[in-house]
Amino acid sequence: MKTNIKNLLLPIISALIIFIFSAAYVFGGQKDYSEAERRLLNKFPEVSLSSVSDGKFMDDFESYSLDQFPARDTMRSIKALTEFFIFGNTECNGFYVEDGHLVKIEYPQDDSMLDYAAAKFKRLCEMYFKDKNCNIYFSLVPDKGAFLAEKAGVLSFDYDNFADNMIQRLPDMNYIDIFPYLSADDYYTTDPHWRQEKITDVANALSEAMGNPLSDSYETVKLDVPFYGAYYGQAALPKQPDDICYLTNDTIKGCTVKKLDDKTGEFVYSEMYNMENANGRDPYEMFLSGSQPIMVIENSNADTEKELVLFRDSYGSSLAPLLAESYKKITLIDIRYIDSNFLGAFVDFNETDDVLFMYSTLILNSSTSMR
Amino acid sequence: MYFFIPCVLILYYIAPKKLKNSVLLLSSLIFYAWGEQKYTILLLISILFGYIFGLLIGKTRGKTVSRFFLALSIVQNLAFLCYFKYADFFISNFNAVTGLSVPLLKTVLPIGISFYTFQILSYTVDVYRGDVKPQKSFINLAAYITMFPQLIAGPIVRYSDVESDLDQRSHSFEKAAYGTRRFVLGLAKKVLLANRLGEICDIFRASGEQSVIFYWLYAISYTLHIYFDFSGYSDMAIGLGNFFGFNFLENFNYPYISKSITEFWRRWHMSLGTWFRDYVYIPLGGNRVPFLRNIFNILVVWMLTGMWHGAEWTFIIWGLYFAVLLILEKLFLLKYLKKSKILSRIYALFFVIIGFVIFNASDLQQAMHDIYSMFGFGDLPAISKETIYYMRSYAFTLIIGIFAATPAAKIIAEKVRSKKSSFGEKTMNVLETIVVPALLVICTAYLVDGSFNPFLYFRF
Repeated sequence: MKTNIKNLLLPIISALIIFIFSAAYVFGGQKDYSEAERRLLNKFPEVSLSSVSDGKFMDDFESYSLDQFPARDTMRSIKALTEFFIFGNTECNGFYVEDGHLVKIEYPQDDSMLDYAAAKFKRLCEMYFKDKNCNIYFSLVPDKGAFLAEKAGVLSFDYDNFADNMIQRLPDMNYIDIFPYLSADDYYTTDPHWRQEKITDVANALSEAMGNPLSDSYETVKLDVPFYGAYYGQAALPKQPDDICYLTNDTIKGCTVKKLDDKTGEFVYSEMYNMENANGRDPYEMFLSGSQPIMVIENSNADTEKELVLFRDSYGSSLAPLLAESYKKITLIDIRYIDSNFLGAFVDFNETDDVLFMYSTLILNSSTSMR
Repeated sequence: MYFFIPCVLILYYIAPKKLKNSVLLLSSLIFYAWGEQKYTILLLISILFGYIFGLLIGKTRGKTVSRFFLALSIVQNLAFLCYFKYADFFISNFNAVTGLSVPLLKTVLPIGISFYTFQILSYTVDVYRGDVKPQKSFINLAAYITMFPQLIAGPIVRYSDVESDLDQRSHSFEKAAYGTRRFVLGLAKKVLLANRLGEICDIFRASGEQSVIFYWLYAISYTLHIYFDFSGYSDMAIGLGNFFGFNFLENFNYPYISKSITEFWRRWHMSLGTWFRDYVYIPLGGNRVPFLRNIFNILVVWMLTGMWHGAEWTFIIWGLYFAVLLILEKLFLLKYLKKSKILSRIYALFFVIIGFVIFNASDLQQAMHDIYSMFGFGDLPAISKETIYYMRSYAFTLIIGIFAATPAAKIIAEKVRSKKSSFGEKTMNVLETIVVPALLVICTAYLVDGSFNPFLYFRF
């Protein structure tokens, strides 16, 4: 190529790139929501004399221009691929890839977060279970980094040490160790959660430790939807979707599920597996309808009168249906979505036999979301 | 970038010749006001003063009164700069010494004030000296001072360098191609290298597992980070300048290959170094004065150079640190440094790195702590798990950074181009036409997925 042709082509191509993107901004319209990032996007800010003079318009415009950038998801993928394949980085945006899994780096261990969570659990016991004849357990759900970080050579906290630290902070609770029943294969590759069809041994271990071994078998139902998990959008790397399955049997089918309607304060009927959510933005939200402050699973066919209160995060949504066999009633409480001081207004704790605090290391290491 | 630049380019190129400076001025004021609504008026007032004093000095040149107008111009510019940049520094030090509690003014530093104040000062001094004619058009002078590519982070473009371009300048595809390449390479330096190297510094400061080698990793990363950040901006300014027909002078010339600190300062932030040389050092007498007076001049110039970077003791000490090194080199070191190219480069780089550790410290205590720790006096392990991880994770970035801080790529490209057959040149042209737009897209991807990351030198 002759120099004069290069001198012609280079500014024209570069200008075209800039002008095409600019035109796409103007004519491309605005999106409300990013499916990949699972968040609302900033839209063109309101223009007013005050917003311009105090700089708010400019700040909001910066956010709008980043969020509404044409082909934003593709651009994010270009960045992630450049990080991994050109810069040879082991991580991008806090994510790494190992054994086909997208994994979020969890590091370092934040002891203040563990203190906060332990204090919150102790206070819940003090408020609602003091002088009651119930057994109190806690269990930790390792994030999948526990099985992949060392192999990938990325920074990761010591999960045994993490568990020991929590055991020391909760000396009056019985710790149920589920780490031995888990491996990386038990998790979705594009999502942080575990796969329900892979955790029957975990459910059994928990149930057995609480004195109620499970005996039911399950039918596995595979959904006909591609599951692009939460990490898929955040990591912005090209990746095949997961499949998503759920387990069912007569016990599960026979259960009644209710959820607290946070608008009315009343319990309304819900579903163990919400098929509308399965086809929605986050198929994992099919399990007990996703993020809910309080859910109740009632098993009127149970051979027992025992009741379980499960303080949990989203990992509990897919596990709880498997515990239904062992209890007449399971009350699931997610204190990220309800102030723990007000639980007594919605839940009667008097008949509680077992209390299980089951939280993932992800939530415990960032526990200020607990209210 | 995808809103402002296309609009300005369209307006600029469709505007008739005599309106091009007006388009530039208007665009630059919008650009400045976008980030600095409150102080746009201050910028305009400074320019107005510069314009009036320029005319008055020009009109009275050769008479005693022109000296008076020059003094007024200098006082006005320095008063603005001192009030907005140094007032609280002086007050807090005054309070510390006297034990009084004079309230701080808590002024917010207007973006780019150090750059545009120095440009206006150089203009009025040059008019006084007769090096340039006073600019009769307010729009032309304001377009020069506010020109957005260089307004907020330099280089400090002298009026004398663009005087003729303001009235008459040419535009061509050759200039546009060169401007595109410089702009995109500058953007890549900033987005792909400086930001990533800056990440290492942030990670280091947040780390709870520091080690001696981690301190060195931080120091080297920061040294590279500040170079790519600032020289990247200068490249972008020079590139955009070419689009508008201006030829801004180079601001960096591979400073990290210097064989002495004297050479380093001839290669680093050249527009600032030459500004202080021409407007402070030489007027003080330069080196044509008795030895002790010369030492005094050097100390004054470098203390001011440090202060120019910010109203902090770390910057003053940083400036004086270089003054001491320059004096030592002047006295005896330079002749020894000439004996070994490798050792002299190691020497220069070592002291530059230590200098930037001082520069980036939040206060003198942290600067001392960082330097102690680098030499193993901080009761730290030699290496830690985190150090190994981040060294490995950022190894390629560091390698690219070190390579790009040398003229190796430039030399290779020139060698390929200069091959006798036209194959080399053709190959380079094809590569340039592919790589530069690809870099533009990649940089855009990083900007889209990253948080807003202003240039370091905005704060100066």
